[in-house]
Amino acid sequence: MRKVVIPIGPQHPALKEPESFSVTLSGERIMAFSARLGYNHRGIEKACEERTYVQDVYLIERICGICSHAHSTCFVQAVEEIAGLAVPERAQYIRTIIAELERIHSHLLWLGIAGHEVGFDTLLMYTWRDREVVMDVLAALTGNRVNYGINTIGGVRRNISPDQAKDILKAVDTLEERTKYYMKVATEERTLIERLAGVGTLSHEDAVNLGAVGPTARASGIDRDTRRDDPYAAYGKLSFKVITDNHNDVYGRTLVRCGELMESYNIIRQAIREMPDGPLAVKAPRRIPAGEAFSRYEAPRGEDVHYVKANGTEKPERVKVRAPTLANLQTVEKMLEDGQLADLPIVIAAIDPCFSCTDRSIVVREARKRSRNILKWEDLRSYSVEWYRNNRGLDFSKLNRKMAGRLL
Amino acid sequence: MTDQASPIAREEEIQKLLIGEFPFLQDKVRVQRPRRIFATTDAQSFEPVFKFAIQKLGFTILCTITGLDNAATLGFIYHLARQDGITLNIQFDVPKENPVIKTVTRYFSCAEIYEREVIDLLGAKVDGLEEGIRYPLPDNWPKGTYPLRKDWKENT
Amino acid sequence: MTALFNMLIFPGFLFLAVFGLFGEYIDRKLYARLQNRVGPPWFQPLADLIKLAAKEDIVPEEANPSMFKAMPIFALTATVTASFYIPLWKTGALFSFNGDLIVTLYLLTIPTLTYFLGGWYSTSLYSKIGAIRSLTQLFAYEVPLLMVILAPALLANTWSLSEMALFYSIHPWYWLFNIIGFIISIIALLGKLEKVPFDIPEAETEIVAGTFTEYSGRLLALFRFSIDIEAIVGSALIAAVYLPFGLGLGGAAGFAIFVLKIVFIISILALSRTLFARLRIDQMVEFCWKYVSPFAFLQILINLILKGVLAR
Repeated sequence: MRKVVIPIGPQHPALKEPESFSVTLSGERIMAFSARLGYNHRGIEKACEERTYVQDVYLIERICGICSHAHSTCFVQAVEEIAGLAVPERAQYIRTIIAELERIHSHLLWLGIAGHEVGFDTLLMYTWRDREVVMDVLAALTGNRVNYGINTIGGVRRNISPDQAKDILKAVDTLEERTKYYMKVATEERTLIERLAGVGTLSHEDAVNLGAVGPTARASGIDRDTRRDDPYAAYGKLSFKVITDNHNDVYGRTLVRCGELMESYNIIRQAIREMPDGPLAVKAPRRIPAGEAFSRYEAPRGEDVHYVKANGTEKPERVKVRAPTLANLQTVEKMLEDGQLADLPIVIAAIDPCFSCTDRSIVVREARKRSRNILKWEDLRSYSVEWYRNNRGLDFSKLNRKMAGRLL
Repeated sequence: MTDQASPIAREEEIQKLLIGEFPFLQDKVRVQRPRRIFATTDAQSFEPVFKFAIQKLGFTILCTITGLDNAATLGFIYHLARQDGITLNIQFDVPKENPVIKTVTRYFSCAEIYEREVIDLLGAKVDGLEEGIRYPLPDNWPKGTYPLRKDWKENT
Repeated sequence: MTALFNMLIFPGFLFLAVFGLFGEYIDRKLYARLQNRVGPPWFQPLADLIKLAAKEDIVPEEANPSMFKAMPIFALTATVTASFYIPLWKTGALFSFNGDLIVTLYLLTIPTLTYFLGGWYSTSLYSKIGAIRSLTQLFAYEVPLLMVILAPALLANTWSLSEMALFYSIHPWYWLFNIIGFIISIIALLGKLEKVPFDIPEAETEIVAGTFTEYSGRLLALFRFSIDIEAIVGSALIAAVYLPFGLGLGGAAGFAIFVLKIVFIISILALSRTLFARLRIDQMVEFCWKYVSPFAFLQILINLILKGVLAR
C-alpha cells in the first residue's frame, strides 16, 4: 500500500500541548516517525539570568502547571546548597507532603488522559472527579490548585495546621479506596487491557540505552527512583517502595503509576505523623555567593534536574533545567516501531509528556535595529505557503491568491 | 544513609580513583556534599576522563549537558549519575571563536538532543553529530545569533 | 394522500426526527449520569442541530463539491426510507412486500457507504483514514448482522419483516430461541452506528474526526441528524425482529410499548459507550470474525433445526 505521511500536531485532539510529529503510514502501520519540538519554548533559562533568585522561584514554578512544585523545589534546593542554608526539618516535611500530593494529582490526571486517548471516557470522568479531592486539599493548603507558591529560598511559606493535616488524611483515605477501584479496572477491564497491553513496547535494554526516566523506565524494569537513590527533602527519613514492572509496555506504565499512587498515600501518612515542629524557613541572603549546584528531584514524570551557577550577585549566572519528558521523548520513536496509528496517541500519552516542561526557552520576537520584526498578514501567509512548499511538498499558492483577493 | 565513618567516603573514593588515573586532575576534583562531585578538565582530556567515569566508575546515566557562556570561552558540563545516587559533573571550556566539542552520542544515544540544544542556543559545534532536526529554535531563527549567550539581549 | 402524510409526518420523517433527537437525549443523559456527571437538558440535541445548521459550510478546495454535499442527504434519505418497511408498533409496516428484509438491510448499509464516500471525497488525510476504517468496519459487522437478522426470518419462513412480526406475535415465546441473535445484533448495531467500542472511524483522539473532519455547518448537521435517526431505525429493526411483544395491541398501548423497546435498546447502547474502551480496527475485525460470526452462524443453525422440528 502506498505510504502516506500524516502530521500529528502541532494542533491535534490527541495532544494536550503543541508538538509536531510526522508519521509515515502504510495503511495503519507506522513505518517512520519523527518529532519536531520547541513549540512551547519560552526563554525561561535566559529569563532566569535576568531576574533575582526570588523572582526566579516564581518563574521556574510556572514552567509547568502539573509539575510546578517539582521545578520550584528542585531550583530552591540548588540555590540553598550554594548558599549553604540549612533548611528546617518541618519545611522539608511540608515540601514532601506537597510533592506527594502533586504526584497524586498528576497520576490521576494521567489515568484520565490515558482513558481518553483510548476512547474510554468513563475512566476520564471518574479519575478527574477524584482529582478534585486532591485539588481541594491543595487549594486549602496553598491557596491555589496549581502553581502552589509554597517554596521560598530557605524553606516554605505556609504551615500545615493540625486541622489541615486531618483533612489531608481524610482525603488520602478516600482516594485510596478509589485508586483500588481503578487498579481493579486496569487489571480486569478487557477492552482497556486490549488497548494498553503489547502497545508501545520498550525493552529493558532500550530503556537503559535511551536514557528513559520515571514511570516509563520503571515499567521496563529499571529500578531507579531519585527519591530513594538521591534523597532530597524528607525522603531520606521515610520508607517507601519503588514500584517497578516488567511488562515493558503501556500497560506496565499504567500499573506503575497506580502503584505509585498507593505508595504516595503511605508517604503522606508517614510524613504527617512524623513531621516535627519548628520554624518554616531560614533567612536567605539576597546575594547568593559564587558557586554551583546540581539538584535532582523525582517529578511525577521522572527525574527532573536543575543546575544553578551563582556569581555573587542577586541574579543567577546560569540556570539549566532538564525536564523528564525530554529524556523520555527519545524513547517514543523506539516504542512506535511496528506500531499502529491507533496506538500513537496512547503511546505518546504513556510517557506522560509535558512539553511545557520540555521546551523552555524561546523569545518570540527577535528585535534587530530599531523596528520590530512584525509580520504583516500577507507576509505571514506567503511565509506559510513557502514553508509548506518546502517542508511538506504542498503548494497552496493558487489558493492563497484566491483567498487574498477575498479577504482584502 | 551510609554507615561508614565519613558521610562522603564513597565520594572521596571516587575522587581518589579519578586523580589516581589522571594526575592532572589533582585539585580539580571537588566533593561539594554527599553525592555531588564536581570536576574540571580541559577539552583534550575530557574524553578519556568521561570514558573512565562511564566504564570504570559506574556512572552509567547521563542526566544532561549544560552549556555556559563564560565570556571568552564556552563551558560545557556533563552531568553523570550512578545507580547509588552519586553524581559527577565534569566541566571543560573551549574558546568562543571556535567552540568545537566532540559528540558523546556513541556512549549515550540520549545525548543527541542535549547536544542539539547547545548547538542552537549557544552556537556550539559538535563534531561527529549527524545531520538532524534542530531543537528548540524554529527554522526561521536568524543565523549566527545564539540566545543563551550573554551578549544576546531580548529587545522589548 | 395518506401515504404522503405517513411518509413525511407520521410515522415518517417528522416523527423520526423528533424521536431521533429524543433518542440522542436519552443516550447522552444516561452516559453522563453513569459517569457521575449532570448531562445535557432535553432540548440539547435540537439546540446542537440548530447551532450547526446556522454555521458556515466550508467545502475543502480539493474536495469534490457535489459528492461532498450530496452524501449527508443520501444518508438521511436512506435511513428514513428504511423505516418504512419496519413494523413499528403494529404487525404491519407502512409498506411491505416479500423481500423487504433485504431491502431494509441494504438501505441501512447506505449510510455507512456515504460516510466512506464523504470522507473519501473530502481528500483530507484524516478523512481518508476514517473513510477506509468505516468500510473495513462494515465488512466486519455486516455479515454477522445479516446472518442474525435472517435467522428469525428463517424460522418465520418469510422474507418480509411485516409477516415475520405477524408470525412472532402469534408465537410470542419463540423470541427466546433468538437470544443469541439479539445480542449479536446489538453488537452489530454498535458497529453500524459507530459507537464505542466501535467508534474507530471517528476516533477523536487519533484522526481528529475521521470521515467528518472536513464537514461543518449544515452538512455536518445533516450527518449527525441522520446518525440519530439511524439509531432509532436500527433499534426499531432489532425490536421488530427480536422483541415481538405487544404488536397485537393497537393504539396508545402499542405505541407506548414501542417507545419503551426503543428506549431499552438505546440504553444498552449508552451503557456500552460507558463501559468499554475503543478497540483498534484490527482488534475489531478479529473480534467480529473470530467470535461474533461463528455465533451468528450458530443462531442460523439453531433456527434451521427448530424450523424442521416445529414443522412436525
